[in-house]
Amino acid sequence: MSTALEQGKRTTTAPRGTLFALVSHTARMQLRGVIIWGAALGLYSAAMVASFTAIEGSAQQLNQLMEAYPKGMLEAFGVTDLGDPANYLHSQFFGLAPLALSFFPILALANSIAGAEERGTIDVLLGNPLPRWQLVAGSFLATALSLLGICAIVGLITWGTATLVDVDLSLREITDGVLNLWPITAVFGSLALLCSSLFHRRALAISIPAFLLFGMYLIDAIGRASEDLEDWRPASAFYYYGSAIENGIDWAHFGSMTLIALALVLLAALAFRRRDIYT
Amino acid sequence: MNLAIETEKLTKSYGRKARGIEEVDLAVEEGEVFGFLGPNGAGKTTTVRTLLGFLRPTGGRGEVFGFDIRKDSVEVRARVGNLPGEFALEDKMTGEGLLRFFARLRGVKDLGYARELAERLGAELHRPMRRLSRGNKQKIGLVQAMFHRPPLLILDEPTGGLDPLVQEEFLDIIEEVKAEGRTVFFSSHNLAEVERVCDRVGIIRGGRLVAVETTETLIDKSFRHVVLTFAEDVDPRPFEALSGVKELRAGGNRLAFTLYDDLDEMVKLAARHELVNMEYERPSLEEVFLTYYERENGEAR
Repeated sequence: MSTALEQGKRTTTAPRGTLFALVSHTARMQLRGVIIWGAALGLYSAAMVASFTAIEGSAQQLNQLMEAYPKGMLEAFGVTDLGDPANYLHSQFFGLAPLALSFFPILALANSIAGAEERGTIDVLLGNPLPRWQLVAGSFLATALSLLGICAIVGLITWGTATLVDVDLSLREITDGVLNLWPITAVFGSLALLCSSLFHRRALAISIPAFLLFGMYLIDAIGRASEDLEDWRPASAFYYYGSAIENGIDWAHFGSMTLIALALVLLAALAFRRRDIYT
Repeated sequence: MNLAIETEKLTKSYGRKARGIEEVDLAVEEGEVFGFLGPNGAGKTTTVRTLLGFLRPTGGRGEVFGFDIRKDSVEVRARVGNLPGEFALEDKMTGEGLLRFFARLRGVKDLGYARELAERLGAELHRPMRRLSRGNKQKIGLVQAMFHRPPLLILDEPTGGLDPLVQEEFLDIIEEVKAEGRTVFFSSHNLAEVERVCDRVGIIRGGRLVAVETTETLIDKSFRHVVLTFAEDVDPRPFEALSGVKELRAGGNRLAFTLYDDLDEMVKLAARHELVNMEYERPSLEEVFLTYYERENGEAR
Protein backbone atom coordinates (compact mmCIF):
# COMPACT_ATOMS: atom_id res chain seq x y z
CA MET A 1 0.00 0.00 0.00
CA SER A 2 1.42 3.35 -0.96
CA THR A 3 2.78 5.72 1.64
CA ALA A 4 0.69 8.54 0.22
CA LEU A 5 -2.46 6.53 0.76
CA GLU A 6 -1.47 5.63 4.31
CA GLN A 7 -0.82 9.30 4.98
CA GLY A 8 -4.20 10.15 3.44
CA LYS A 9 -6.03 7.82 5.77
CA ARG A 10 -4.25 8.72 8.97
CA THR A 11 -3.03 12.26 8.70
CA THR A 12 -5.45 14.01 6.36
CA THR A 13 -7.09 16.79 8.28
CA ALA A 14 -10.12 18.75 7.28
CA PRO A 15 -8.77 21.66 5.23
CA ARG A 16 -8.78 25.19 6.54
CA GLY A 17 -10.31 28.02 4.59
CA THR A 18 -13.59 26.17 3.98
CA LEU A 19 -15.60 29.05 5.45
CA PHE A 20 -13.95 31.56 3.13
CA ALA A 21 -14.46 29.24 0.14
CA LEU A 22 -18.15 28.84 1.03
CA VAL A 23 -18.72 32.56 1.57
CA SER A 24 -17.05 33.58 -1.68
CA HIS A 25 -18.89 30.83 -3.61
CA THR A 26 -22.28 31.73 -2.13
CA ALA A 27 -21.72 35.46 -2.68
CA ARG A 28 -20.80 34.74 -6.31
CA MET A 29 -23.96 32.68 -6.73
CA GLN A 30 -25.99 35.58 -5.33
CA LEU A 31 -24.35 38.21 -7.53
CA ARG A 32 -27.08 38.20 -10.18
CA GLY A 33 -29.73 38.60 -7.50
CA VAL A 34 -27.78 41.46 -5.95
CA ILE A 35 -27.72 43.32 -9.26
CA ILE A 36 -31.41 42.71 -9.94
CA TRP A 37 -32.55 43.67 -6.42
CA GLY A 38 -30.18 46.65 -6.32
CA ALA A 39 -31.31 47.90 -9.71
CA ALA A 40 -35.02 47.39 -8.98
CA LEU A 41 -34.97 49.14 -5.60
CA GLY A 42 -32.47 51.73 -6.83
CA LEU A 43 -34.67 52.65 -9.79
CA TYR A 44 -37.72 52.94 -7.54
CA SER A 45 -35.76 55.17 -5.20
CA ALA A 46 -34.48 57.20 -8.15
CA ALA A 47 -38.06 57.65 -9.38
CA MET A 48 -39.03 58.98 -5.93
CA VAL A 49 -36.07 61.39 -5.98
CA ALA A 50 -37.00 62.56 -9.46
CA SER A 51 -40.64 62.95 -8.44
CA PHE A 52 -39.54 65.27 -5.64
CA THR A 53 -38.61 67.90 -8.24
CA ALA A 54 -42.25 67.89 -9.40
CA ILE A 55 -43.67 68.58 -5.94
CA GLU A 56 -40.84 70.73 -4.63
CA GLY A 57 -42.42 74.00 -5.81
CA SER A 58 -45.79 73.21 -4.29
CA ALA A 59 -44.50 71.64 -1.09
CA GLN A 60 -46.05 74.33 1.09
CA GLN A 61 -49.51 73.75 -0.35
CA LEU A 62 -49.03 70.01 -0.08
CA ASN A 63 -48.05 70.30 3.57
CA GLN A 64 -51.18 72.41 4.18
CA LEU A 65 -53.20 69.75 2.42
CA MET A 66 -51.54 67.08 4.57
CA GLU A 67 -52.64 68.93 7.69
CA ALA A 68 -56.19 67.97 6.76
CA TYR A 69 -55.21 64.29 7.09
CA PRO A 70 -55.39 62.63 10.52
CA LYS A 71 -52.14 63.29 12.34
CA GLY A 72 -51.81 59.65 13.28
CA MET A 73 -51.93 58.58 9.67
CA LEU A 74 -49.13 60.96 8.72
CA GLU A 75 -47.08 59.72 11.64
CA ALA A 76 -47.74 56.15 10.62
CA PHE A 77 -46.10 56.85 7.27
CA GLY A 78 -43.38 59.08 8.70
CA VAL A 79 -44.55 62.22 6.86
CA THR A 80 -43.51 65.44 8.61
CA ASP A 81 -42.45 67.88 5.90
CA LEU A 82 -42.85 67.08 2.21
CA GLY A 83 -40.69 70.07 1.34
CA ASP A 84 -37.71 68.30 2.88
CA PRO A 85 -36.23 65.86 0.35
CA ALA A 86 -34.90 63.61 3.13
CA ASN A 87 -38.33 63.32 4.77
CA TYR A 88 -39.97 62.90 1.39
CA LEU A 89 -37.61 60.06 0.46
CA HIS A 90 -38.08 58.43 3.87
CA SER A 91 -41.86 58.52 3.58
CA GLN A 92 -41.86 57.35 -0.03
CA PHE A 93 -39.01 54.86 -0.03
CA PHE A 94 -36.89 54.21 3.04
CA GLY A 95 -39.86 53.74 5.37
CA LEU A 96 -41.18 50.91 3.21
CA ALA A 97 -37.95 49.54 1.73
CA PRO A 98 -37.29 46.97 4.53
CA LEU A 99 -40.61 45.32 3.67
CA ALA A 100 -39.34 44.54 0.19
CA LEU A 101 -35.61 44.17 0.76
CA SER A 102 -36.04 41.73 3.67
CA PHE A 103 -37.25 39.18 1.15
CA PHE A 104 -33.78 38.97 -0.38
CA PRO A 105 -32.15 37.52 2.78
CA ILE A 106 -35.31 35.62 3.73
CA LEU A 107 -35.38 33.79 0.39
CA ALA A 108 -31.60 33.32 0.24
CA LEU A 109 -31.28 31.96 3.78
CA ALA A 110 -34.42 29.82 3.63
CA ASN A 111 -32.81 28.28 0.55
CA SER A 112 -29.43 27.69 2.12
CA ILE A 113 -30.50 24.77 4.33
CA ALA A 114 -34.19 23.86 4.03
CA GLY A 115 -34.18 24.74 0.32
CA ALA A 116 -31.02 22.70 -0.26
CA GLU A 117 -32.65 19.76 1.54
CA GLU A 118 -35.78 20.06 -0.60
CA ARG A 119 -33.76 20.35 -3.82
CA GLY A 120 -31.54 17.43 -2.77
CA THR A 121 -28.28 19.37 -3.11
CA ILE A 122 -27.26 19.31 0.54
CA ASP A 123 -25.84 15.77 0.64
CA VAL A 124 -23.38 16.55 -2.15
CA LEU A 125 -22.32 19.81 -0.50
CA LEU A 126 -21.96 18.34 2.99
CA GLY A 127 -20.19 15.32 1.55
CA ASN A 128 -17.24 17.71 1.71
CA PRO A 129 -15.39 18.31 4.99
CA LEU A 130 -17.53 21.32 5.79
CA PRO A 131 -18.66 21.68 9.41
CA ARG A 132 -22.37 22.29 9.74
CA TRP A 133 -21.88 25.52 11.64
CA GLN A 134 -19.88 26.85 8.72
CA LEU A 135 -22.78 26.21 6.36
CA VAL A 136 -24.97 28.32 8.67
CA ALA A 137 -22.40 31.06 9.32
CA GLY A 138 -21.13 31.08 5.72
CA SER A 139 -24.62 31.42 4.28
CA PHE A 140 -25.33 34.31 6.63
CA LEU A 141 -22.03 36.06 5.93
CA ALA A 142 -22.43 35.76 2.17
CA THR A 143 -25.99 37.06 2.32
CA ALA A 144 -24.96 39.88 4.65
CA LEU A 145 -22.30 40.89 2.10
CA SER A 146 -24.81 40.65 -0.73
CA LEU A 147 -27.18 42.87 1.25
CA LEU A 148 -24.42 45.44 1.57
CA GLY A 149 -23.94 45.19 -2.20
CA ILE A 150 -27.65 45.84 -2.79
CA CYS A 151 -27.54 48.79 -0.39
CA ALA A 152 -24.50 50.17 -2.23
CA ILE A 153 -26.24 49.90 -5.62
CA VAL A 154 -29.42 51.54 -4.26
CA GLY A 155 -27.34 54.29 -2.66
CA LEU A 156 -25.35 54.97 -5.82
CA ILE A 157 -28.43 55.11 -8.05
CA THR A 158 -30.23 57.34 -5.54
CA TRP A 159 -27.28 59.68 -5.12
CA GLY A 160 -26.61 59.77 -8.87
CA THR A 161 -30.23 60.70 -9.55
CA ALA A 162 -30.28 63.33 -6.79
CA THR A 163 -27.13 64.89 -8.25
CA LEU A 164 -28.52 64.72 -11.77
CA VAL A 165 -31.88 66.33 -10.99
CA ASP A 166 -30.36 68.69 -8.44
CA VAL A 167 -32.22 67.51 -5.34
CA ASP A 168 -30.59 68.55 -2.11
CA LEU A 169 -29.58 65.16 -0.72
CA SER A 170 -26.02 64.64 0.42
CA LEU A 171 -24.04 61.45 -0.08
CA ARG A 172 -23.84 61.16 3.72
CA GLU A 173 -27.63 61.29 4.12
CA ILE A 174 -28.14 58.70 1.42
CA THR A 175 -25.38 56.46 2.82
CA ASP A 176 -27.01 56.61 6.25
CA GLY A 177 -30.38 55.79 4.71
CA VAL A 178 -29.21 52.73 2.75
CA LEU A 179 -26.81 51.46 5.40
CA ASN A 180 -29.60 51.55 7.97
CA LEU A 181 -31.49 49.04 5.82
CA TRP A 182 -28.83 46.42 6.55
CA PRO A 183 -29.43 45.43 10.20
CA ILE A 184 -33.21 45.25 10.04
CA THR A 185 -33.18 43.14 6.87
CA ALA A 186 -30.36 41.00 8.31
CA VAL A 187 -32.55 40.29 11.37
CA PHE A 188 -35.38 38.91 9.25
CA GLY A 189 -32.87 37.00 7.13
CA SER A 190 -31.30 35.39 10.17
CA LEU A 191 -34.77 34.51 11.45
CA ALA A 192 -35.35 32.71 8.14
CA LEU A 193 -32.03 30.93 8.67
CA LEU A 194 -33.11 29.82 12.14
CA CYS A 195 -36.42 28.53 10.77
CA SER A 196 -34.52 26.82 7.93
CA SER A 197 -32.30 25.14 10.51
CA LEU A 198 -35.18 24.10 12.71
CA PHE A 199 -37.90 22.96 10.36
CA HIS A 200 -36.23 21.78 7.12
CA ARG A 201 -39.25 23.15 5.28
CA ARG A 202 -38.54 26.07 2.96
CA ALA A 203 -42.15 27.26 3.02
CA LEU A 204 -42.03 27.63 6.81
CA ALA A 205 -38.62 29.30 6.69
CA ILE A 206 -40.10 31.94 4.38
CA SER A 207 -43.58 32.36 5.79
CA ILE A 208 -42.68 32.73 9.50
CA PRO A 209 -40.24 35.66 9.04
CA ALA A 210 -42.50 37.17 6.36
CA PHE A 211 -45.45 37.07 8.76
CA LEU A 212 -43.34 38.66 11.52
CA LEU A 213 -41.99 41.26 9.08
CA PHE A 214 -45.44 42.52 8.13
CA GLY A 215 -46.73 42.08 11.68
CA MET A 216 -43.92 44.17 13.13
CA TYR A 217 -44.38 46.82 10.45
CA LEU A 218 -48.06 47.09 11.30
CA ILE A 219 -47.40 47.17 15.05
CA ASP A 220 -44.94 50.04 14.56
CA ALA A 221 -47.07 51.95 12.05
CA ILE A 222 -50.28 51.60 14.08
CA GLY A 223 -48.38 52.25 17.32
CA ARG A 224 -47.25 55.58 15.89
CA ALA A 225 -50.82 56.44 14.95
CA SER A 226 -52.57 55.16 18.07
CA GLU A 227 -51.65 55.92 21.66
CA ASP A 228 -53.32 52.68 22.76
CA LEU A 229 -50.79 50.61 20.84
CA GLU A 230 -47.77 52.83 21.38
CA ASP A 231 -46.47 50.62 24.19
CA TRP A 232 -46.23 47.75 21.75
CA ARG A 233 -43.85 49.54 19.42
CA PRO A 234 -40.61 48.42 21.17
CA ALA A 235 -41.60 44.86 20.29
CA SER A 236 -41.22 45.74 16.62
CA ALA A 237 -37.89 45.81 14.77
CA PHE A 238 -39.20 48.85 12.88
CA TYR A 239 -39.24 50.83 16.14
CA TYR A 240 -35.42 50.67 16.15
CA TYR A 241 -35.17 51.35 12.43
CA GLY A 242 -36.12 55.02 12.61
CA SER A 243 -35.28 57.42 9.78
CA ALA A 244 -31.53 57.47 9.26
CA ILE A 245 -31.71 59.61 6.11
CA GLU A 246 -33.13 62.42 8.27
CA ASN A 247 -31.56 61.81 11.66
CA GLY A 248 -28.43 59.86 10.87
CA ILE A 249 -27.80 56.28 12.00
CA ASP A 250 -28.63 55.48 15.61
CA TRP A 251 -25.59 53.33 16.25
CA ALA A 252 -26.98 51.87 19.47
CA HIS A 253 -30.00 50.58 17.58
CA PHE A 254 -27.81 49.55 14.64
CA GLY A 255 -25.56 47.56 16.97
CA SER A 256 -28.49 46.02 18.89
CA MET A 257 -30.15 44.83 15.69
CA THR A 258 -26.86 43.41 14.45
CA LEU A 259 -26.41 41.55 17.74
CA ILE A 260 -29.94 40.14 17.49
CA ALA A 261 -29.17 38.95 13.96
CA LEU A 262 -25.95 37.31 15.15
CA ALA A 263 -27.75 35.70 18.10
CA LEU A 264 -30.30 34.21 15.70
CA VAL A 265 -27.45 32.89 13.53
CA LEU A 266 -25.88 31.30 16.61
CA LEU A 267 -29.18 29.66 17.51
CA ALA A 268 -29.50 28.47 13.91
CA ALA A 269 -26.03 26.90 14.07
CA LEU A 270 -26.88 25.13 17.34
CA ALA A 271 -30.21 23.90 15.99
CA PHE A 272 -28.70 22.63 12.74
CA ARG A 273 -25.84 20.92 14.54
CA ARG A 274 -28.23 18.68 16.44
CA ARG A 275 -30.70 17.62 13.83
CA ASP A 276 -30.86 15.07 11.02
CA ILE A 277 -30.42 16.29 7.48
CA TYR A 278 -33.37 15.37 5.30
CA THR A 279 -33.50 14.90 1.55
CA MET B 1 -6.02 -5.92 8.63
CA ASN B 2 -7.12 -2.36 9.40
CA LEU B 3 -10.73 -1.45 9.07
CA ALA B 4 -11.98 1.38 6.88
CA ILE B 5 -15.51 1.18 8.30
CA GLU B 6 -16.51 -0.39 11.56
CA THR B 7 -19.92 -0.20 13.17
CA GLU B 8 -21.19 -1.83 16.32
CA LYS B 9 -24.92 -2.14 16.88
CA LEU B 10 -25.40 1.01 14.81
CA THR B 11 -29.04 2.02 15.05
CA LYS B 12 -31.04 4.81 13.52
CA SER B 13 -34.70 5.01 14.35
CA TYR B 14 -37.09 7.45 12.73
CA GLY B 15 -39.83 6.77 15.24
CA ARG B 16 -43.07 5.28 14.03
CA LYS B 17 -43.17 6.94 10.60
CA ALA B 18 -40.40 4.98 8.87
CA ARG B 19 -38.02 2.11 9.44
CA GLY B 20 -34.36 2.93 9.92
CA ILE B 21 -31.54 0.53 10.73
CA GLU B 22 -31.16 -1.73 13.75
CA GLU B 23 -27.97 -2.89 15.39
CA VAL B 24 -25.91 -3.01 12.21
CA ASP B 25 -22.44 -4.53 12.75
CA LEU B 26 -20.24 -3.80 9.76
CA ALA B 27 -16.52 -4.33 9.27
CA VAL B 28 -15.17 -3.20 5.92
CA GLU B 29 -11.48 -3.85 5.52
CA GLU B 30 -9.11 -1.33 4.02
CA GLY B 31 -8.46 -1.97 0.37
CA GLU B 32 -11.55 -4.07 -0.31
CA VAL B 33 -14.52 -3.37 -2.54
CA PHE B 34 -17.58 -4.00 -0.45
CA GLY B 35 -21.02 -4.28 -2.02
CA PHE B 36 -23.92 -3.24 0.15
CA LEU B 37 -27.04 -4.91 -1.13
CA GLY B 38 -30.66 -4.81 -0.25
CA PRO B 39 -34.05 -4.03 -1.72
CA ASN B 40 -35.40 -0.50 -1.72
CA GLY B 41 -36.19 0.72 1.78
CA ALA B 42 -33.98 -1.93 3.41
CA GLY B 43 -31.74 0.67 5.07
CA LYS B 44 -28.80 1.07 2.67
CA THR B 45 -29.09 4.83 2.33
CA THR B 46 -29.81 5.27 6.05
CA THR B 47 -26.60 3.36 6.85
CA VAL B 48 -24.54 5.50 4.46
CA ARG B 49 -26.07 8.78 5.65
CA THR B 50 -25.48 7.79 9.28
CA LEU B 51 -21.84 6.94 8.53
CA LEU B 52 -21.39 10.38 6.98
CA GLY B 53 -23.00 12.19 9.91
CA PHE B 54 -26.06 13.38 7.99
CA LEU B 55 -28.25 11.37 10.33
CA ARG B 56 -27.63 11.12 14.06
CA PRO B 57 -27.49 7.52 15.23
CA THR B 58 -29.99 6.66 17.94
CA GLY B 59 -27.83 3.80 19.19
CA GLY B 60 -24.54 2.02 18.75
CA ARG B 61 -21.34 3.45 17.37
CA GLY B 62 -19.41 3.71 14.15
CA GLU B 63 -15.92 4.60 12.99
CA VAL B 64 -14.37 5.43 9.64
CA PHE B 65 -10.58 4.99 9.65
CA GLY B 66 -10.81 5.15 13.43
CA PHE B 67 -12.73 8.43 13.48
CA ASP B 68 -16.01 8.47 15.36
CA ILE B 69 -18.88 9.15 12.95
CA ARG B 70 -20.69 11.22 15.56
CA LYS B 71 -17.88 13.37 16.95
CA ASP B 72 -15.44 13.49 14.04
CA SER B 73 -17.82 13.79 11.12
CA VAL B 74 -15.69 16.43 9.39
CA GLU B 75 -12.59 14.22 9.63
CA VAL B 76 -14.63 11.32 8.28
CA ARG B 77 -15.86 13.35 5.32
CA ALA B 78 -12.32 14.60 4.64
CA ARG B 79 -11.41 10.96 3.89
CA VAL B 80 -14.53 9.96 1.99
CA GLY B 81 -15.71 10.59 -1.54
CA ASN B 82 -19.48 10.29 -1.50
CA LEU B 83 -22.00 9.81 -4.26
CA PRO B 84 -25.49 9.96 -2.72
CA GLY B 85 -28.20 7.70 -4.12
CA GLU B 86 -30.54 10.56 -4.82
CA PHE B 87 -28.96 13.90 -5.30
CA ALA B 88 -29.27 17.12 -7.23
CA LEU B 89 -26.64 19.61 -8.31
CA GLU B 90 -27.10 23.36 -8.31
CA ASP B 91 -28.90 24.17 -11.57
CA LYS B 92 -26.98 27.35 -12.28
CA MET B 93 -23.54 25.79 -11.90
CA THR B 94 -21.45 23.97 -14.45
CA GLY B 95 -19.56 20.82 -13.59
CA GLU B 96 -16.32 22.78 -13.84
CA GLY B 97 -17.61 25.41 -11.38
CA LEU B 98 -18.78 22.71 -8.97
CA LEU B 99 -15.43 20.91 -9.07
CA ARG B 100 -13.50 24.14 -8.55
CA PHE B 101 -15.67 24.94 -5.53
CA PHE B 102 -15.31 21.45 -4.05
CA ALA B 103 -11.56 21.53 -4.75
CA ARG B 104 -11.34 24.67 -2.62
CA LEU B 105 -13.37 23.03 0.15
CA ARG B 106 -11.00 20.07 0.08
CA GLY B 107 -7.80 22.00 -0.38
CA VAL B 108 -7.15 20.31 -3.75
CA LYS B 109 -4.95 22.43 -5.99
CA ASP B 110 -4.74 20.29 -9.11
CA LEU B 111 -7.86 19.40 -11.08
CA GLY B 112 -5.94 17.19 -13.51
CA TYR B 113 -7.40 13.93 -12.17
CA ALA B 114 -10.89 15.46 -12.19
CA ARG B 115 -10.53 16.31 -15.87
CA GLU B 116 -9.15 12.85 -16.61
CA LEU B 117 -12.14 11.22 -14.89
CA ALA B 118 -14.55 13.54 -16.68
CA GLU B 119 -13.01 12.64 -20.02
CA ARG B 120 -13.11 8.92 -19.33
CA LEU B 121 -16.74 9.04 -18.21
CA GLY B 122 -17.73 11.54 -20.91
CA ALA B 123 -18.96 14.10 -18.37
CA GLU B 124 -19.81 17.52 -19.78
CA LEU B 125 -18.15 20.01 -17.47
CA HIS B 126 -19.01 23.22 -19.27
CA ARG B 127 -22.80 23.09 -19.49
CA PRO B 128 -25.07 24.27 -16.65
CA MET B 129 -26.56 21.39 -14.65
CA ARG B 130 -30.09 22.33 -15.64
CA ARG B 131 -29.23 21.42 -19.23
CA LEU B 132 -27.77 18.03 -18.40
CA SER B 133 -29.55 14.68 -18.63
CA ARG B 134 -29.80 12.40 -15.59
CA GLY B 135 -26.92 10.30 -16.87
CA ASN B 136 -24.69 13.33 -17.32
CA LYS B 137 -25.49 14.58 -13.83
CA GLN B 138 -24.62 11.13 -12.52
CA LYS B 139 -21.23 11.36 -14.27
CA ILE B 140 -20.54 14.71 -12.60
CA GLY B 141 -21.65 13.18 -9.29
CA LEU B 142 -19.12 10.39 -9.78
CA VAL B 143 -16.32 12.80 -10.69
CA GLN B 144 -16.96 14.97 -7.62
CA ALA B 145 -16.87 11.85 -5.43
CA MET B 146 -13.58 10.60 -6.84
CA PHE B 147 -11.52 13.59 -8.03
CA HIS B 148 -9.70 14.10 -4.72
CA ARG B 149 -8.55 10.46 -4.55
CA PRO B 150 -10.17 9.72 -1.18
CA PRO B 151 -9.00 6.66 0.78
CA LEU B 152 -12.67 5.57 0.94
CA LEU B 153 -15.34 5.87 -1.73
CA ILE B 154 -18.97 5.53 -0.66
CA LEU B 155 -21.14 5.21 -3.74
CA ASP B 156 -24.88 4.68 -3.64
CA GLU B 157 -26.15 3.18 -6.92
CA PRO B 158 -23.23 4.64 -8.87
CA THR B 159 -24.18 3.32 -12.30
CA GLY B 160 -27.84 4.37 -12.25
CA GLY B 161 -28.61 6.28 -15.44
CA LEU B 162 -25.27 5.46 -17.11
CA ASP B 163 -25.13 3.79 -20.50
CA PRO B 164 -23.39 0.37 -20.71
CA LEU B 165 -20.13 1.74 -22.12
CA VAL B 166 -19.80 4.29 -19.33
CA GLN B 167 -20.73 1.64 -16.76
CA GLU B 168 -17.86 -0.43 -18.10
CA GLU B 169 -15.46 2.52 -17.82
CA PHE B 170 -16.67 3.20 -14.30
CA LEU B 171 -16.00 -0.40 -13.27
CA ASP B 172 -12.49 -0.10 -14.75
CA ILE B 173 -11.96 2.97 -12.58
CA ILE B 174 -13.17 1.07 -9.50
CA GLU B 175 -10.66 -1.69 -10.27
CA GLU B 176 -7.91 0.94 -10.50
CA VAL B 177 -9.04 2.42 -7.18
CA LYS B 178 -8.84 -1.05 -5.65
CA ALA B 179 -5.40 -1.61 -7.17
CA GLU B 180 -4.23 1.59 -5.46
CA GLY B 181 -5.26 0.04 -2.15
CA ARG B 182 -8.20 2.33 -1.61
CA THR B 183 -11.51 1.12 -0.22
CA VAL B 184 -14.87 1.19 -2.00
CA PHE B 185 -18.22 0.75 -0.31
CA PHE B 186 -21.06 0.71 -2.78
CA SER B 187 -24.64 -0.27 -3.16
CA SER B 188 -26.08 -1.59 -6.38
CA HIS B 189 -28.95 -3.57 -7.79
CA ASN B 190 -26.80 -4.84 -10.64
CA LEU B 191 -25.59 -8.35 -9.80
CA ALA B 192 -23.14 -8.53 -12.71
CA GLU B 193 -21.56 -5.30 -11.50
CA VAL B 194 -21.36 -6.57 -7.93
CA GLU B 195 -19.95 -9.89 -9.07
CA ARG B 196 -17.27 -8.21 -11.14
CA VAL B 197 -15.83 -5.76 -8.65
CA CYS B 198 -16.89 -6.65 -5.12
CA ASP B 199 -14.74 -8.78 -2.84
CA ARG B 200 -17.48 -9.12 -0.28
CA VAL B 201 -21.11 -8.21 0.00
CA GLY B 202 -23.33 -7.30 2.91
CA ILE B 203 -27.06 -7.89 2.65
CA ILE B 204 -29.41 -5.66 4.57
CA ARG B 205 -33.06 -6.45 5.04
CA GLY B 206 -35.63 -4.59 7.10
CA GLY B 207 -32.89 -2.41 8.56
CA ARG B 208 -30.83 -5.36 9.78
CA LEU B 209 -27.62 -6.69 8.29
CA VAL B 210 -28.58 -10.30 7.64
CA ALA B 211 -25.38 -11.56 6.05
CA VAL B 212 -21.89 -10.66 4.98
CA GLU B 213 -20.53 -13.02 2.36
CA THR B 214 -17.81 -13.17 -0.21
CA THR B 215 -19.24 -12.52 -3.65
CA GLU B 216 -18.67 -16.14 -4.74
CA THR B 217 -20.72 -17.40 -1.84
CA LEU B 218 -23.58 -15.10 -2.67
CA ILE B 219 -23.63 -16.23 -6.30
CA ASP B 220 -23.33 -19.89 -5.27
CA LYS B 221 -26.32 -19.51 -3.04
CA SER B 222 -28.40 -18.35 -5.94
CA PHE B 223 -30.23 -20.52 -8.47
CA ARG B 224 -30.49 -20.72 -12.25
CA HIS B 225 -33.41 -20.67 -14.63
CA VAL B 226 -33.07 -23.69 -16.95
CA VAL B 227 -34.92 -24.43 -20.18
CA LEU B 228 -34.14 -27.73 -21.95
CA THR B 229 -35.34 -28.46 -25.45
CA PHE B 230 -35.05 -32.08 -26.66
CA ALA B 231 -35.32 -33.65 -30.10
CA GLU B 232 -38.43 -35.55 -28.94
CA ASP B 233 -40.88 -35.60 -26.02
CA VAL B 234 -39.38 -36.60 -22.67
CA ASP B 235 -40.82 -37.83 -19.40
CA PRO B 236 -40.56 -34.93 -16.91
CA ARG B 237 -40.84 -37.10 -13.78
CA PRO B 238 -37.11 -38.04 -13.42
CA PHE B 239 -36.26 -34.30 -13.59
CA GLU B 240 -38.98 -33.45 -11.11
CA ALA B 241 -37.54 -36.07 -8.76
CA LEU B 242 -34.21 -34.24 -8.52
CA SER B 243 -34.03 -32.42 -5.19
CA GLY B 244 -32.64 -29.19 -6.70
CA VAL B 245 -35.36 -28.85 -9.34
CA LYS B 246 -38.34 -26.66 -8.48
CA GLU B 247 -41.28 -25.16 -10.37
CA LEU B 248 -40.97 -27.52 -13.31
CA ARG B 249 -43.14 -26.81 -16.33
CA ALA B 250 -43.28 -29.49 -19.02
CA GLY B 251 -44.61 -29.10 -22.54
CA GLY B 252 -43.83 -31.88 -25.06
CA ASN B 253 -40.14 -31.74 -25.85
CA ARG B 254 -39.51 -28.71 -23.63
CA LEU B 255 -38.83 -28.58 -19.91
CA ALA B 256 -38.47 -25.36 -17.92
CA PHE B 257 -37.54 -25.31 -14.24
CA THR B 258 -35.60 -23.52 -11.54
CA LEU B 259 -32.41 -25.28 -10.47
CA TYR B 260 -31.12 -24.68 -6.95
CA ASP B 261 -28.38 -27.33 -6.94
CA ASP B 262 -27.82 -30.81 -8.39
CA LEU B 263 -26.41 -29.34 -11.60
CA ASP B 264 -24.32 -32.43 -12.27
CA GLU B 265 -27.28 -34.79 -11.79
CA MET B 266 -29.47 -32.65 -14.03
CA VAL B 267 -26.89 -32.54 -16.84
CA LYS B 268 -26.35 -36.30 -16.67
CA LEU B 269 -30.08 -36.88 -16.79
CA ALA B 270 -30.52 -34.52 -19.75
CA ALA B 271 -27.63 -36.22 -21.58
CA ARG B 272 -29.61 -39.44 -21.70
CA HIS B 273 -31.78 -37.77 -24.32
CA GLU B 274 -30.95 -35.93 -27.54
CA LEU B 275 -30.63 -32.34 -26.37
CA VAL B 276 -31.33 -29.62 -28.97
CA ASN B 277 -30.89 -26.53 -26.82
CA MET B 278 -30.15 -25.61 -23.22
CA GLU B 279 -30.77 -22.17 -21.71
CA TYR B 280 -29.06 -21.62 -18.40
CA GLU B 281 -29.91 -18.20 -17.06
CA ARG B 282 -28.53 -16.29 -14.11
CA PRO B 283 -31.27 -14.84 -11.91
CA SER B 284 -31.73 -11.15 -11.21
CA LEU B 285 -30.34 -9.80 -7.97
CA GLU B 286 -33.87 -9.35 -6.71
CA GLU B 287 -34.49 -13.07 -7.22
CA VAL B 288 -31.26 -13.89 -5.38
CA PHE B 289 -32.46 -11.76 -2.49
CA LEU B 290 -35.79 -13.55 -2.40
CA THR B 291 -34.14 -16.95 -2.43
CA TYR B 292 -31.60 -15.90 0.12
CA TYR B 293 -34.27 -14.49 2.37
CA GLU B 294 -36.41 -17.60 2.03
CA ARG B 295 -33.45 -19.75 3.03
CA GLU B 296 -32.72 -17.49 5.95
CA ASN B 297 -36.32 -17.73 7.08
CA GLY B 298 -36.28 -21.50 6.57
CA GLU B 299 -33.13 -21.88 8.63
CA ALA B 300 -34.52 -19.61 11.30
CA ARG B 301 -37.62 -21.79 11.48
